[in-house]
Amino acid sequence: MAVDTRERPPKASSKDAATAEQESRFQRYRIRTGMFAWMMHRLTGVGLVVYLIIHIWGLTALTDPETFNALIAKYHSPIFKVGEFALLVAVAYHAMNGLRIVLIDLLGWSPKQKRLFATLGAVTLLIILVGGWPSIYALGEWLFGPGSMPSLFL
Amino acid sequence: MASSQSNALNWFLHRITGTFLVFMLITHFWVQHYDHQVASVTHEVVTEKNEMPEYPEEAKEGVKARFGPDAEATPYQVVMQRLADPVYAFLWKGFNVLFLIVALHHGFYGLNNVMTDYIRNPMGRLIASVLSWTVALGLFIIGTYSVITAGW
Ligand code: HEM
Ligand code: HEM
Repeated sequence: MAVDTRERPPKASSKDAATAEQESRFQRYRIRTGMFAWMMHRLTGVGLVVYLIIHIWGLTALTDPETFNALIAKYHSPIFKVGEFALLVAVAYHAMNGLRIVLIDLLGWSPKQKRLFATLGAVTLLIILVGGWPSIYALGEWLFGPGSMPSLFL
Repeated sequence: MASSQSNALNWFLHRITGTFLVFMLITHFWVQHYDHQVASVTHEVVTEKNEMPEYPEEAKEGVKARFGPDAEATPYQVVMQRLADPVYAFLWKGFNVLFLIVALHHGFYGLNNVMTDYIRNPMGRLIASVLSWTVALGLFIIGTYSVITAGW
């Protein structure tokens, strides 16, 4: 895990001070990105657990039509549309970073780490844009009036 | 402690459940937000009290086809197209229960990992672990009950 990672001391032999310094700076940078990715993974994970608890609790409404209608109607309020988008961002990030972890330590893709990181980053962005469009569209139509947003693929 | 007895297996399961969740969440998201006939959430903001979202034609027709010409496309009816279907309800309820189990295992196992990192005291860890898995079990019972009895 990222917390346990320590910087390796720069090799004393065969390298002058400048390269050694550069190398250690590079390593420190990598540890920081990894650390940040891990912290965000943890944060989104816990956030999703909280959402899941509320979600299952709310779904007891499934046993009564009136209550369920009220619940889903509430899901259409502006604040929930924003929340829905935030939820998607959290899910997309957690899912793609989780997939990255699985591919690296279960399938041994560590030699391809860099390319994997870039590819999954792009996929995450795509998921957020395509998956988030319904929420953005709904908010736009409400803010700027009907017909103001391109419905695109919806 | 309780959580360290089969750590390697649980660790492996956590990765497996995570991978499963990718596919299940894609299905869930498609069904709830994208599919014109059965999506419970429309692409519309509703602000008036007691106002219901306006569902697309596909949803209105689907609800009428299943529940009779007078049936209205309310959120409940739209979702019941799947959950009260004579044939596919079994599959959807089955999917939901599986999804529920996998999400709860992944989420609460993960939560226990996080708590173990911040709680140093063994007794505290045990209490946190027992409490959280009790909550998970409670959610499993509640969730299974509501999704199985829905529409039946
Ligand atoms: C969408 C698919 C998902 C994938 C691929 C995935 C993958 C992962 C992986 C591989 C880990 C382990 C990280 C590590 O060992 O450092 C993890 C941790 C975690 N996941 Fe997920 N996950 C997914 C969805 C979810 C969902 C829906 C929830 C909440 C209900 C959740 C909650 C958590 C939590 C709380 C942790 C612990 C975080 C930590 O230890 O720092 N995950 N996830
Ligand atoms: C805003 C986005 C979401 C909406 C509108 C939504 C809506 C729903 C609805 C209406 C159901 C009832 C069952 C059905 O229709 O088949 C359901 C079930 C479920 N949802 Fe979601 N959901 C959303 C996001 C999520 C997320 C992010 C997760 C995972 C953390 C999740 C986990 C579940 C689970 C596990 C069930 C089954 C519950 C049970 O069996 O009682 N949902 N969802």
